[in-house]
Amino acid sequence: MNNSQQTARVGLFFLLGVALIWVTFETLSGGKVFKDKGYELIAGFESLQSLKEGDEIRMAGVRIGEVKGTRLAPSGRRAEAILRIDTGVKIRADATATIVMSGLIGTNFISVDLGTATAGELRPGAEIRTKATPDLGAVMEKLSSLGTKLEDALGSLSGALSGDANNPGLIKKVDTLVTENREKIGATMTNLQQVTDRINKGEGTLGRLVNDPKLHDELLASVDQIKAAAGDAKNFVANAQTIIDQVKSGKGPLGTLVFDEKVSADLRATTQNLRALSDKIARGEGAIGKLLTDDSLVKDAKAVLKKADRALDGFDDAGPITAVGVVARGLF
Amino acid sequence: MKLLTDALEGLGSTLLLLARALSYTRTLPRQFGRFIEQCYLIGYTTLPIVAILSFFIGSVLALQSGFAGKDFGAKQFIGLLVGVSMSRELAPVMAAILLAGRVGSAIAAELASMKVYQEIDALVTMNIPPARILVLPRLAAVAVMMPVLTIVADLVGWFGGAIISKYTHFIAIEPESYFATMRQYMHFDSVLNGLIKAEIFGFVVVLVCCNVGLNTRGGPREIGAAVTRAVVVSLILILVLDFFVTRVLA
Amino acid sequence: MPASVSSTRNPFSDAATPAVGVTIDDLCKSFGTFEVLKHVSFHVPPGEIFVLMGPSGSGKSVLLKHIVGLELPTSGKVTVDGLDAADETTREKVRMALVFQAGALFNSLSVYDNLALYPREHQLADEAGIREKVMRALQILSLENAANKFPSELSGGMKKRVAIARALVMEPQLMLYDEPTSELDPVMSATIAEIIATLKEQYHVTSIVVSHDRDLALGIADRVGILMGGQLRFLGKPAELRTPQDSRVADFLNPQIDLQNPRFKQLETQA
Repeated sequence: MNNSQQTARVGLFFLLGVALIWVTFETLSGGKVFKDKGYELIAGFESLQSLKEGDEIRMAGVRIGEVKGTRLAPSGRRAEAILRIDTGVKIRADATATIVMSGLIGTNFISVDLGTATAGELRPGAEIRTKATPDLGAVMEKLSSLGTKLEDALGSLSGALSGDANNPGLIKKVDTLVTENREKIGATMTNLQQVTDRINKGEGTLGRLVNDPKLHDELLASVDQIKAAAGDAKNFVANAQTIIDQVKSGKGPLGTLVFDEKVSADLRATTQNLRALSDKIARGEGAIGKLLTDDSLVKDAKAVLKKADRALDGFDDAGPITAVGVVARGLF
Repeated sequence: MKLLTDALEGLGSTLLLLARALSYTRTLPRQFGRFIEQCYLIGYTTLPIVAILSFFIGSVLALQSGFAGKDFGAKQFIGLLVGVSMSRELAPVMAAILLAGRVGSAIAAELASMKVYQEIDALVTMNIPPARILVLPRLAAVAVMMPVLTIVADLVGWFGGAIISKYTHFIAIEPESYFATMRQYMHFDSVLNGLIKAEIFGFVVVLVCCNVGLNTRGGPREIGAAVTRAVVVSLILILVLDFFVTRVLA
Repeated sequence: MPASVSSTRNPFSDAATPAVGVTIDDLCKSFGTFEVLKHVSFHVPPGEIFVLMGPSGSGKSVLLKHIVGLELPTSGKVTVDGLDAADETTREKVRMALVFQAGALFNSLSVYDNLALYPREHQLADEAGIREKVMRALQILSLENAANKFPSELSGGMKKRVAIARALVMEPQLMLYDEPTSELDPVMSATIAEIIATLKEQYHVTSIVVSHDRDLALGIADRVGILMGGQLRFLGKPAELRTPQDSRVADFLNPQIDLQNPRFKQLETQA
């Protein structure tokens, strides 16, 4: 290889390096390589939040330009973003620009909607309509108040069930009922146990009948009597069983069965209260009722869940899939 | 103790050599041919190995950070991570290490053999200072070529990371979003930082290798020893300097 | 470039070269604990051919390196034209050429470029003028055909001739030769001897020749010094060498080959 060839290669090589450095510089300093292409629009916002120079402008998700600069309006009453829109992209006069946050740590872009096909085009330098979007702080605040309401609703439901010192709640009343009658139920069971034990040990008439061979004949003669006695015992056991079952399941006006008229009345009243509550909920009254019946709220919640779901699926854009990330992604 | 005095002697002679070489700066236009030749050796012929190495460094960086970040959703930031690591640290350091291995060793070997076969002595008696015709063109060449090598290393590393990020199943990040995070959060500062680092490393490597070569004493056996010493000293200096330069630039 | 060097003193032209004198004053040199030169003193006046002889390892080459400033004295002083040889600026003020024993050619350059390096680096002439000088020097040493070869393609003798040619191109005021005739055939040895003598006669160049070659020393030397064990054992006219006073000098100059009682056996019995 001769010298001039070597010189040429080195020269070319050096130029390549300079060009690469320049391209890198331009790209990392905000992609200003093609900065003079396209036209500008002005977008005024109450707050630009963390929008900065070089952020993207997207229409229907397609990149159509970038934020060329940000400034306070001359009036000082609002912030303005200067949007550089690629040549050939037409923006309808009724299109709206919104600041969208696509990640928690400040990846913003301006989303411009399509507008209506019949509306005129925005001319270079014109102002585009904007829609304020709550910033993350505001959204978090709303989320927090929603949480408070939910808590309140759950609190009153819980109060109805458990009551307070003066007005014992439903669960407590049932509990009291069972506790107060425990002894009586227990005694019944004990008696029954004793009867069977004594028969087993040969005590009493029945016992002797079973154990004394001399009385075998009498036994045979008395079979009917024994049968009758056994029938009685069976009935008694069945009755006792019914009582226990009913107490266990808490069904029916237990008070009537177990002698206590007052408790029975209380229970009835409680049941009525509960019914009234659920009726109210069904009619959409009160906090929980609203929560469950307000159509728009349900729709919102559904949307949130859907977005959260998409966020969880990984979606495609930048933004951390963390718990906070999911919340934030869901909200936007 | 001997190690310390050796180190100080090395430092002193290196600085002296630097001062001498720089004192002949005005002869550089006359030495354009030698300068171009050194540019060719230092830059052009070193580029392929730098490119290959950077590609794999970038890929591995993407792979490892993807592996580490996949469990807590940090993989979107692989682009940023590879971008910053490559440009601030790995590109300049790897370029300098390759320079030490490929160019530094060759310089040390050439100058050591010139010294051993008395060519250096001949130059001195001819009143042609070795610092002028042997050291200065190399220093000038490395100063011009190092940024080129580094920016190529940067870009190749970034693309290596992008390709790996796209085709690795547990990462699967499209190049667009890979480069988007890089562009969003990385500034040219990082690249500039790396270029400055590389410039310092390259200069030091060439200077040290020249000095070790020129200070070789003894027979042909010493040529090999000089090459080893030059490369080892260069590598140590690169990593030690890396720390201090990073501190200063940060 | 200092003015004294860039002024035109061309040994190939008729202009006289202002020769320089060399003074060695009580020079001592040690490498570590090994003393190579012990209190050597002599003076070489301008225009003289001084031949330094001595057995291998007696410090002749080291002495030459002191004159060009490649080695620095442990004690004592070497002056060239009144300037300290240890001082780097002396090399800029006085043109000295050293013909190395092994040639010390630049292996990466062709023979032509080896010769052209000095005038190019010191901008002594344009490329045509340099070419003329180089070809002239090559001609003197019958090297025209080797101009485009590289040192690795040359034989030992040719390398030596190229080294001498390279020194000639420098148009030196002081020529130092380290074993110029070793490895050369007798005819080429004679040619070298003639060149050294011619440089003196026509251009008044001071020459210091380190050699083992008795014929060379007796043929061209104005004065001869014999260095043995780091000390100057003899200093005088070549004629005086025929009747040396010192027995070791006599043995060095006229060694008798004694097969009955070889020297290495004498050394053994001494030990």
